[in-house]
Amino acid sequence: MSITAETAKAHAKDPAVLCCRAEAGITIQAANLEDPAIFDDLVESGLLNLDGVLTIEQILGSKLIKTCDSLTPVTPDVVDSYKEAEAVPEEAGKADADEAAEEAPAAEVQSTSAAPVQMAGGVLKIHIDEGKGIDIELPMPGAAPAAPVQAVVPVNAAETSGEAPAAKEPEPKLIRSLTRKHYNITEVKRGPETKIEGTTLYIREGIEEEAAASQELVHSLKIDIITPEKYNQYSETIMDVQPIATKEGESELGSGVTRVLDGVVMMVTGTDANGVQIGEFGSSEGILEENIMWNRPGAPDKGEIFIKTEVVIAAGTNMERPGPLAAHTATDVITQEIREALKALEDESLVVNEETFNQYRRPGKKKVVIVKEIMGQGAMHDNLILPVEPVGVLGAKPNVDLGNVPVMVSPLEVLDGCIHALTCIGPASKEMSRHYWREPLVLETLYDPEIDLCGVLFVGSPQINAEKFYVSKRVGMMVEALDVDGAFVTTEGFGNNHIDFASHHEQIGMRGVPVVGLSFCAVQGALVVGNKYMTHMVDNNKSEKGIENEVLACNTLCHEDAVRALNMLKAAMAGEDVKAPERKWNPNVKANNVELISNVTGKPVELVANEQSLPMSQKRREKYS
Amino acid sequence: MKYGDNIIYMEGVIVEIHDGCVGIDLKGRLGYLKIPMRMLITDYELKIGQEVGWNMSFIEQLGPEVNEKYVSNLETYQKRQAAMRAGRENASEHEVSQVDIMKEEEE
Repeated sequence: MSITAETAKAHAKDPAVLCCRAEAGITIQAANLEDPAIFDDLVESGLLNLDGVLTIEQILGSKLIKTCDSLTPVTPDVVDSYKEAEAVPEEAGKADADEAAEEAPAAEVQSTSAAPVQMAGGVLKIHIDEGKGIDIELPMPGAAPAAPVQAVVPVNAAETSGEAPAAKEPEPKLIRSLTRKHYNITEVKRGPETKIEGTTLYIREGIEEEAAASQELVHSLKIDIITPEKYNQYSETIMDVQPIATKEGESELGSGVTRVLDGVVMMVTGTDANGVQIGEFGSSEGILEENIMWNRPGAPDKGEIFIKTEVVIAAGTNMERPGPLAAHTATDVITQEIREALKALEDESLVVNEETFNQYRRPGKKKVVIVKEIMGQGAMHDNLILPVEPVGVLGAKPNVDLGNVPVMVSPLEVLDGCIHALTCIGPASKEMSRHYWREPLVLETLYDPEIDLCGVLFVGSPQINAEKFYVSKRVGMMVEALDVDGAFVTTEGFGNNHIDFASHHEQIGMRGVPVVGLSFCAVQGALVVGNKYMTHMVDNNKSEKGIENEVLACNTLCHEDAVRALNMLKAAMAGEDVKAPERKWNPNVKANNVELISNVTGKPVELVANEQSLPMSQKRREKYS
Repeated sequence: MKYGDNIIYMEGVIVEIHDGCVGIDLKGRLGYLKIPMRMLITDYELKIGQEVGWNMSFIEQLGPEVNEKYVSNLETYQKRQAAMRAGRENASEHEVSQVDIMKEEEE
């Protein structure tokens, strides 16, 4: 395929290769050249050798002196003349690529600090190292299909923050606070009534029947209390992990006081009356301890007690919207009764820990919004937004019914359980209700003194593309109205939600706002589409092989990803470039970035364990041997 | 994979639509595929009978070994399914007998 003059300009410093047979004597134009985006594949498969090739800008307008076949690299011996290669960009000098990556930021900060951030046009930078290795920095080409996303962040966070004007700094403004009172639970028992005595939680005998009767679609409900000794038991697919929390007094979700039980979580599992899993795809059924990635934001912590419900819903409803919703609602009948018991507690001495989250606006700092894309394709791709109680059901609206349009919430509402997640698939990348309760990106951004986090924008991912673009355009307009300096876009899992993920980047990026994306990508979740604004990406993968490994919450957004994304956004807002992604997923990119960040900030970034830390099931031994 | 690079264009027909998934018959009676919504790219409103296309390779065995974990999960699953079906049948028989008893009593 020949390229246009515009593409040729964008790829001025890329190798020039003829796209089709060309006769001697012609003047080489853009239309004679092949799109450089495909060269990597050709070189890798041995079909193309780029040794000694000239760049596009060198040979445009030159005369061909030999008749050449298609895919012939334009070398000095086939053209009458060519322009000399330009000197290597001064700040990089003759340093090799690694050194350049470290040195460049310091120099660039000086030059770009005064200029407004210019991302829209994209910047092209090329470093040719004595004709041997060709070093390219450019925005990811819009056409790049299924590019594994990983990019290098030049770490300059410390420098940029140091440059903020010290004089007349406006005071941070406290918007609202949220206090969490923690009550410790060490034992869960059945008893005549639901109550909390000391550190023992009693659940009323016979509550199962009431919970089941509350929903027409629910045939039966069983409660299992899973203590650590029972972690080796079989379980159906885990549909959700939820904190048990309630608002105190008149407090509303997202402010005031929340009471929460430590050491115990709710866990929803279930099948339909034929015994078919409700979350039929990407099931995490099996031995609990082999299938849970402990201590992920969304997963149970090791040592916690699970109150596990096993809900049986009407046959054949597991794939229809009312089915999974009924399973969640029936489970919530039990949770609600525990909440009432927790609300009724008067003994303040039972509070083992109190933590307060303050939402500050920081005028004068870089204003940032977090866009979180949640599933909204239907059935087990749904989320309840803003219940009355943390991660409750009552009062909440399913985002599918809301039309998946963006909904703005405060960071404290996120941390107070404003999302009740019905998402079921796939287990390794699903963001469970508990994930939002401990959302690392929100926490990290909220507490960064250099950042003014203005809010968290939830947007659903509808099934049909036209609807995807409809909601995405609303995201763009909202971001425009917010007048932010930077944005994060996150999504969970992979699939058609990557279409809106890309579109959100475009809608935000085209308004000149730097945007950093977070998603599970690696090998299996490689992006299906891309555009020129998708330059800053953080991959949430933790699995060894870069795949959906069926281990609950393994590949979800963790603290380490939040730190990387935040540093990347700071670099982007300061006008830094990132390196182009490598052709294939390479876990070393992440390792390098983490090292760079900890070198600059002086704070080591602790990396979480992956599935290798779990007891090795036969399944994984085979997968990874 | 030995033959993973050999990518073939396949077509199928949407034969089932649920809120959370679609069922697809591969043309030429080559099989059936049930996929969650998020794995399907939808440009138009979904309707039964719409044709779909995708690229795939042949499916290869990864090795001769049997993964005991999957076998055990499958057995547990099938046992449970059987038990549940049996339970439902018993329950409906039970209902019938109750009705019979009531009728008898009325008589």
